[in-house]
Amino acid sequence: MKKKFPLLLVFVFGILGIIPFLIPHPIVQHSDEYIRNDILRILAAFALVLALGSLLKVHADKIKRKKVNWQYSWVLILAFIVSSIIGLFGGVAGTGLLPTSFGSFNFNIQTLYENIIIPLASSMFALLAFYMASASYRAFRARSSEATLLLVAAFVVMIGFLPVASSISSKLPAFAQWVLNVPNVAGQRGVLFGIALGAVATSLKIILGIERAWLGGGD
Amino acid sequence: MKFIDRLTKIDRRIIYAILALVVILPLVFPSALKVKPMKPVEKLYEAVDNIPEDKALLLDCSYAPQIKAEVEPMAIAVLRHAFGKRKKVLVLALYVQMLGLAQKALTQVTEEFNSKAQTNIDSIIYGRDYVFLGWTPPPLIPMLGMGESITDVYPADYYGNQTDTLELMQYIKNYNNIGILVCLSGSAIPKAWVMYAQNRFGLAVGVGCTAVSGADFYAYYQTGQFSGLMVGMKGAAEYEELVEENLEIKEKRMASEAMLPMTYAHFIIIFFIVIGNIGYFIQRRRK
Repeated sequence: MKKKFPLLLVFVFGILGIIPFLIPHPIVQHSDEYIRNDILRILAAFALVLALGSLLKVHADKIKRKKVNWQYSWVLILAFIVSSIIGLFGGVAGTGLLPTSFGSFNFNIQTLYENIIIPLASSMFALLAFYMASASYRAFRARSSEATLLLVAAFVVMIGFLPVASSISSKLPAFAQWVLNVPNVAGQRGVLFGIALGAVATSLKIILGIERAWLGGGD
Repeated sequence: MKFIDRLTKIDRRIIYAILALVVILPLVFPSALKVKPMKPVEKLYEAVDNIPEDKALLLDCSYAPQIKAEVEPMAIAVLRHAFGKRKKVLVLALYVQMLGLAQKALTQVTEEFNSKAQTNIDSIIYGRDYVFLGWTPPPLIPMLGMGESITDVYPADYYGNQTDTLELMQYIKNYNNIGILVCLSGSAIPKAWVMYAQNRFGLAVGVGCTAVSGADFYAYYQTGQFSGLMVGMKGAAEYEELVEENLEIKEKRMASEAMLPMTYAHFIIIFFIVIGNIGYFIQRRRK
């Protein structure tokens, strides 16, 4: 029962997910709408609560057992509690029950987001440019004919899409566009067909219960 | 150490310092570089421009802070275009961490327009000209559900207002009332819009994406599944150019100002790759 019931659920809802795309009858469409707008939304709410609970549990456990870098778990838990209180009771623009300003100093959720999350995330990602420059200098070598082709294509696309490309050669932007439109798309299409066919095959295997690895247990 | 050996062993801190310099200096002394709009961006601009009066633009701001530098200028340029042409706009984000960025872009552009407005008609008013729908999980629900009823999927907007009480939502009911969806994202979300909303409801989809994911999307643009495509900071700068040229909206052009540091950074990276290869070839010949 422990295995058969989830398999039955996946089979029923897998088929129910396909049918509305094939049968436009109102009864089918309305039941599909009900499944998506009501059942799926309730499930998503449960998943959200479960995920947040799991996150807190993992970090509380890390602190309790003093695992490696356990101190950072305190940062996560405190940030979680503070932002939850401000977000839940302060409203999205500081219009909620909780006052979110002292004079001209605001700490509503939007202000916190714009002044903490955005700069932190942007800075982390900006570092990539430096690593990329250093890594491409060290690793991007024309060691073989394939690597040389890759190098030339990369130069054409990099320079061809710069605003100064037409000053270098009037044909360069068009050629860079051609590289993306023809060889790139040809390769992409092949990959896309492969992925699509693979996705159909895997989905059918899961719906029909042939592929059972997602059930866990290792058998 | 010989000069040639040094060419292949430049300290990474030197590379970092030079790159930082060529990026920071043009940002400290900004100057917008003129760009020539390419076909995919022009087509996206035309698609937004041709939204009929009784239809709205649906803007999906599904970009995270990590790619803000590249994609936020797109959101701002598209919003300036839409508000400049008095198009109605619905804004949403498919994931919660992106809501703050959508809110930021909306606040900036509405303030730009409202600071110059003389009358109520000139102003961009919430509920009448635009609605911020917010977020509802999981992404599949809004993608499919809005084909039937937008207010059923979003009973309340981002600010907690009942959407069915808003003026704009009285005649924007579902995808039949949407001229085009413009999805701004750095992930595979635009493909999902095609799979679910376009295939089932025939929704027109336009895309703004990061330069790194651009190559994945050209296949969809060629087939016409994407009505237009804006790739990376350059795409954003091209859209800014079109907005300024056609609508004479003269505001700060973030992407255009970033073109100069981006150009220098590209040349520096190419320069280092070239000297690295020169050193490599000379060393190989010696062996």
